Amino acid sequence: MNDTKALLNELQKSVQVRDVQRGTEILSKIKIAILQGSSSSEQLAIGASALELGVLLAVVAGDLNAFARNMAQLRPSYSRGVQSERKCHVLGLNLMFLLVENRLSEFHAELELLSEKEATNVFISFPIQLERQLMVGSYDEVLSAHSRIPDTSYDFFMENLLETVRDSIADCVEVSYKEMKIEDAMKMMKFDSPQRLLGYVEESRDDWIIEGKSICFQPAISGSKASDIPSMKLIDQSLTYATEMERII
Amino acid sequence: MTADEPKKEAESTVDKKEKEEDPGPPPIPPLEAAARRLDRLLGGDAKTIHSYTNPAKVIRRWLGTASGAASDATMEKISSAAASLLNPEGACAEGGGLLTVDEKMMDIDDEKPKFLTAASEREVEVWLLTLKIRIYWKENNFSEAFKLSQKTIDIVSKHIDTATRNVTNASRPTTSSLFPLLARLYRYRSLVADSNPQMAMSLRGDMIKSHSLASLRRDVDSQATLLNLMMHDLLNVSQVEQAQKLLANSTFPDSASNNQFCRYLYHSGRIQSLRLEYTSAFSNLSQCLRKAPNNTGLGFRITAQRLLVVVQLLMGEIPDRHIFLVPSMRAELAPYMAITQAVRRGDLSVFAAAVSEHAARLQADATYTLISRLAHQVVKAGLRKLHVSYSRISLQDVADRLGLPSATSAEFVVAKAVRDGVLDATIYHEEGYVRSHDLVDVYATQEPATAFHRRIAYCLTTHNDAVRGMRYPPDAYKKQLESSRGNRKNRGDDKTDEEKAQELEDELEDEY
Repeated sequence: MNDTKALLNELQKSVQVRDVQRGTEILSKIKIAILQGSSSSEQLAIGASALELGVLLAVVAGDLNAFARNMAQLRPSYSRGVQSERKCHVLGLNLMFLLVENRLSEFHAELELLSEKEATNVFISFPIQLERQLMVGSYDEVLSAHSRIPDTSYDFFMENLLETVRDSIADCVEVSYKEMKIEDAMKMMKFDSPQRLLGYVEESRDDWIIEGKSICFQPAISGSKASDIPSMKLIDQSLTYATEMERII
Repeated sequence: MTADEPKKEAESTVDKKEKEEDPGPPPIPPLEAAARRLDRLLGGDAKTIHSYTNPAKVIRRWLGTASGAASDATMEKISSAAASLLNPEGACAEGGGLLTVDEKMMDIDDEKPKFLTAASEREVEVWLLTLKIRIYWKENNFSEAFKLSQKTIDIVSKHIDTATRNVTNASRPTTSSLFPLLARLYRYRSLVADSNPQMAMSLRGDMIKSHSLASLRRDVDSQATLLNLMMHDLLNVSQVEQAQKLLANSTFPDSASNNQFCRYLYHSGRIQSLRLEYTSAFSNLSQCLRKAPNNTGLGFRITAQRLLVVVQLLMGEIPDRHIFLVPSMRAELAPYMAITQAVRRGDLSVFAAAVSEHAARLQADATYTLISRLAHQVVKAGLRKLHVSYSRISLQDVADRLGLPSATSAEFVVAKAVRDGVLDATIYHEEGYVRSHDLVDVYATQEPATAFHRRIAYCLTTHNDAVRGMRYPPDAYKKQLESSRGNRKNRGDDKTDEEKAQELEDELEDEY
């Protein structure tokens, strides 16, 4: 028991120092010790803390698989009622993770499990607000949210999110504008300099034509093609009607 | 409904019996009368017990008729009925012991008490125990009720086990008569456990085991009831993912009762709405509301209607006004009407105000999380209104109308709406306005076809359900056949259908 506590302290120190390798070693030792030890409530609490630190470590290391694994192991401890100060932090990180991976149904299922007090905690309200802004489409608030993150561990997810957001903004801009000046485009997509914008355009947006100081978006060619008619679906529907009518008659 | 008519019949026969016997010996109390009726139904008086092919059906119908007697039962009535009906030395000694309260026993009449025969004594014993549990529950005596229900379930399981092992002529060949009562017991037990979350947690493992047992025994009632109870339990503690897995891995038996099917539809609709599958949630919930009984279960219907309204809002449709104005549901649905109006106006600030005003109510209804997802729909509705009414509008005005913080966010919002296909417009960034394009002719798109398809699919499913649900009395076709045979006899033609078909075939072959 005492040596697990000592190991826990070591783990905490290595998380603070961001020493990934040492941290993972200690974490595996703790896990083995927990398995062998008794399942008293104190052991459970130590196990839960160890897993939480493991989660934070995974964020530092940028290892999403380890993150998901540790979260899955933490889940039963939480449902059994283990309390800890880092709970909201870890749950918030989990929400960010689901948001970035675009697993919205699981995101909402997680929201259901939160009590009201937890939902007002800044760690958790941040991803909730973010999701709402993404749905509504006020991307400028998303981009400026970077200044509001509650903890540095969210940085990792924010970067991924920014990439996705930038792609979405580019899509929207393409469809809704005829042309746009380069400075405005820079501001909208939060690029620091025109070169970065041009680089982005070159690598993923071929159909944007750059004329001097403005970008021109080609209107989509909206001719009617044979593939526009969803023929398979229509055939399917008509066949069902025919079979059902046969049955009646 | 079919249960109502025999119920009225039963009550009138009880009344008649009481009137007949008034001058004579004292009238039989209604509980006893119902029990003796069951005894007669299951053939207890006959020399040999003839087995019904479906005793469960007999029990279900009898339960419906006996509910009149059951509703005003009290403890004393139950214990006196138990004392006179159940043989204390018979198979039901345990249950009988639980039922009779050791008060001053009434003077035994001169005639020996006529106990029930083996045909029905187990069913009556269990039935009386369920009545007692119900009384405990109504008095809020939850711990007693819980203990009693556990014991009763054990008794029933023992009965079923012994019956399946000793199948003799004297005993009941099949034990399915106990199944509807078992299902009722499970339901009461969960009702009682709802009041206490600790109790509920302890029941979970047990319910899963009972469910697998019920499926093995082909006990349709218990299977359906347990499935619904488990989903209800999981949803109460908001374990949506687990409820979803339960839903995906289990099948609901087709021949379960209509009420259970209704509950099943409601639970699956709720799970789907929480997981963002709004169209399937909508169809499940509307089917549930259609199948719900009209004269009872108002609370259930209100809850289902609330959820349906919210799902409609989440899908982007505005529900009709007349839904909210049904007199019985008006007060309950009032906050939802306020929120629907806010969504229709398309103004985010008004919507936020409406939500915070009714927040406590929404939390109690467990729809708060769903409602908070509606911000997106509010914006969509507002944008659509602006798009239709203005051909050109400045971004600052858009921000004001929609309650957005600034013109730049309005710009982004409009851009996203254009990409999602909500509107068809172009933004002019330097001048700072939005110009909408001309409206497209709706009939040129797929819209009418999809709308028609939805309605046709609904009509066809209703038709199939109706055909499956029809039951003909088993002798009707014989009568018809005999009358047609009679006619043919007059004509001197005695062939059956098969022979005629055979003749036709021969003729056809000859033609070749």
